[in-house]
Amino acid sequence: MLNIPRPNIGKVSVLVAILAWLALLFVDITRIFETVNRLEPNMAPQVSYVLELLFFITVYLFYNYSINKNEDLDFLNLIWRGASTGLLATSVSLLINFFYQMLGEGRLAADPLLRNFFYHVNFAMMTLFLISCSLLWKHLILYQKSKRVVQQWQAFEILMLISMFFVFFNENNLDYSFLFGLVFLTFFSASLSVNLKWIPYLTFKEKWKSILFFVIILVCTSYLFFELLSYSGTNLTFVNLTDNLFLMGLFAFVFIYSLFSFLVTLFNLPTSSVFEQKLLEAINFQRLSQSIKPGQDETQVLDILIDSSMSAAYADAGWLELLDKEENKVIIQERFIDEDIREELYDLISNIKPFSEFNWKASDNETRKYLGKIPHNIFKSALMLPLVVNQKTIGRLFLIKEVKDGFNKEMINIINTFVGQASISVENYRLLNEAIKNERYKEELKIAQRVQRSLLPTELHHDDSFEISGISEAADEVGGDYYETKQISSNLFAIIIGDVSGKGTSAAFNMSQMKGIFHSLVQLNPSPGEFLAKANVALSQCLERNHFITTAYYLVDTESKKIKYSRAGHCPTLFYDASLKSCDYLSSEGLGLGMVRSALYENYIHEQEFEFDKEDILLLYTDGIVEAKNESGIEFGYDRLKKTLMDLHQFSAIEIQKKIIEHIYRFVGQNSMPDDDFSLLVIKFNP
Amino acid sequence: MMLQIEKNIENDHSVLSLIGEIDASNSVELDAVILEMVQGGVSNLLVDCSRLEYISSAGLGVFMSYLEEFQEKEIKLVIFGLKEKVFQVFNILGLDQLIKIRSTKQDALGELL
Repeated sequence: MLNIPRPNIGKVSVLVAILAWLALLFVDITRIFETVNRLEPNMAPQVSYVLELLFFITVYLFYNYSINKNEDLDFLNLIWRGASTGLLATSVSLLINFFYQMLGEGRLAADPLLRNFFYHVNFAMMTLFLISCSLLWKHLILYQKSKRVVQQWQAFEILMLISMFFVFFNENNLDYSFLFGLVFLTFFSASLSVNLKWIPYLTFKEKWKSILFFVIILVCTSYLFFELLSYSGTNLTFVNLTDNLFLMGLFAFVFIYSLFSFLVTLFNLPTSSVFEQKLLEAINFQRLSQSIKPGQDETQVLDILIDSSMSAAYADAGWLELLDKEENKVIIQERFIDEDIREELYDLISNIKPFSEFNWKASDNETRKYLGKIPHNIFKSALMLPLVVNQKTIGRLFLIKEVKDGFNKEMINIINTFVGQASISVENYRLLNEAIKNERYKEELKIAQRVQRSLLPTELHHDDSFEISGISEAADEVGGDYYETKQISSNLFAIIIGDVSGKGTSAAFNMSQMKGIFHSLVQLNPSPGEFLAKANVALSQCLERNHFITTAYYLVDTESKKIKYSRAGHCPTLFYDASLKSCDYLSSEGLGLGMVRSALYENYIHEQEFEFDKEDILLLYTDGIVEAKNESGIEFGYDRLKKTLMDLHQFSAIEIQKKIIEHIYRFVGQNSMPDDDFSLLVIKFNP
Repeated sequence: MMLQIEKNIENDHSVLSLIGEIDASNSVELDAVILEMVQGGVSNLLVDCSRLEYISSAGLGVFMSYLEEFQEKEIKLVIFGLKEKVFQVFNILGLDQLIKIRSTKQDALGELL
């Protein structure tokens, strides 16, 4: 396939423009040649007009292309482009005039060919300047455009296009139709020239520069205009290209827009600093409201806060005081002040009204502002604003000025907004951090939960003479219930159940201690009473003052069919006697472990022994079972537990365990969750 | 869980009334009140539990933690008016062996003599 390169509008239009210009020159030279040699003129002026039109259009295309290509030019650069083209056109014209001055009255000065050439050069430069300026002005006019302005501009372009063709009817005579057209274009230009929205966005310095550029453009335009008029005055032997409605209209437009811009910029000068200030405040506000990004910290926001507040108030000095984690006051972000003077001022301010009325604990600090005079030889007025985050005052912003009553209402309002926004940013940042931390705690709790689950036995020791089944559920992620078994010898089994006071993490820690104590003591094969006595001694060392552990320790001898047990404040065990078909709590005296932390504890230990037979059932549990409450606040209770076991005695241990839990859940109701840890251990002796 | 604690200093004895339920979350309030009274130099403490509906192990732990100190400072502690269900909790744990528990305020006052 043939690959045709896309024509570059810029290059093509330049080329065509140059060719059109050369053609114009050539046509006129031919005309002069004919006139000089008194030949019959056969070159109609329309040929020149058509070439002129082609020149205008290609120049327009070129500038349109080149300005659009540099879309991101700022206003000052745009204006400078116009001014520089104007300077170039003017200098060329001046040089030509200077050249003729030098020639004086010589023959060369009267040479029509040379005159013709320079005329064409002037014409080309003028056209370049006017068309480029118009297109630059188009950018300025269409800044922050509305639909109406765009339509107006399009109408203007169409009018200018029509004015190019005007020459064919009018032949460049200064008649009424020409004047009418010119006046119309002038008024239209004036109506377009009120679109000056770009001016306020210039800084003070930029305004000065643009004023200078506009002066250049105005001078150039005026000079070139009079130069043009001077040509129309002389009796030229060739076709007049410049007495053209299009060019005249452009002159009017470029001049009027420049004049308007010049005047408006000039009158805008005094207020520009205010506009700049407001723009800066808006930008600062935006910076403050952007939330702190991860990895950054609050100081960044506070940094922006003090900078923007100081610039909003034209403050001469300022600093931020902040409460750190230990509630110590620290000074951060000192501005334009050394530490000694700052300390001096700080003491001064802290001791005079209204500043001395400030209270870190006040609940309405958010709405308070402290403003007043200070008796200092340099600094005369001060403003103090509290920074409140999450209803807590975290710091104070101090601004100091060298003039009396230096802070007006507008300044205070804007600074108040800054402080409020900074506080929100800091608050958001802290909340986010907290959320991340909580997430981490949750993760750690999950780990603790896994660890604790592994502390409960996966396998309960037993032999052929009994079956055993257990379950434990924690109300929180981790709990304080504990049960375990151990086979001491072929026919001797130790069984323990325990409940640590409180719940949650602290209970879980104590539970793991209990497990350690059980494992170390069970090796010594103690009697239940000995076990409790030794466990109490061990736990007295490590339990917190207000914590205790209830437990019950059982030794099951499957050969002699005897159970020895001791209870330390734990819920009494439920025993089902199969031969009597009756169910009762094994009551015995006892005291929770850790409640008396001395040898006196042994006085409270009681050991009991009883015999069991086939199909008897032992039910060990923690208080979460009997204290499980339903929706009306009624506890499951001892009686209900007893009745439930009576009804279930024929089932196997695991079935009894499951059915009791089912019963409890049904009793509690689906909507409630257990609010305490609960554990259940069912032992059933085989027939 | 709601707990209300009323403190009454009458002539020669102080009465602490516990109203509502004591669990792990509000047992610290009870601890704070007792600590305040001990530091205030009370010589005896009657605890009125006639309107106490429930006490968890954490609540019991608060009473337990002061027993030693009370003994040292010879502060008499008497609990009275326990509801059956709440008394059972004291009883199972064995705390009734360590703390004097009476049924009425009259009986409790008798213990102070």
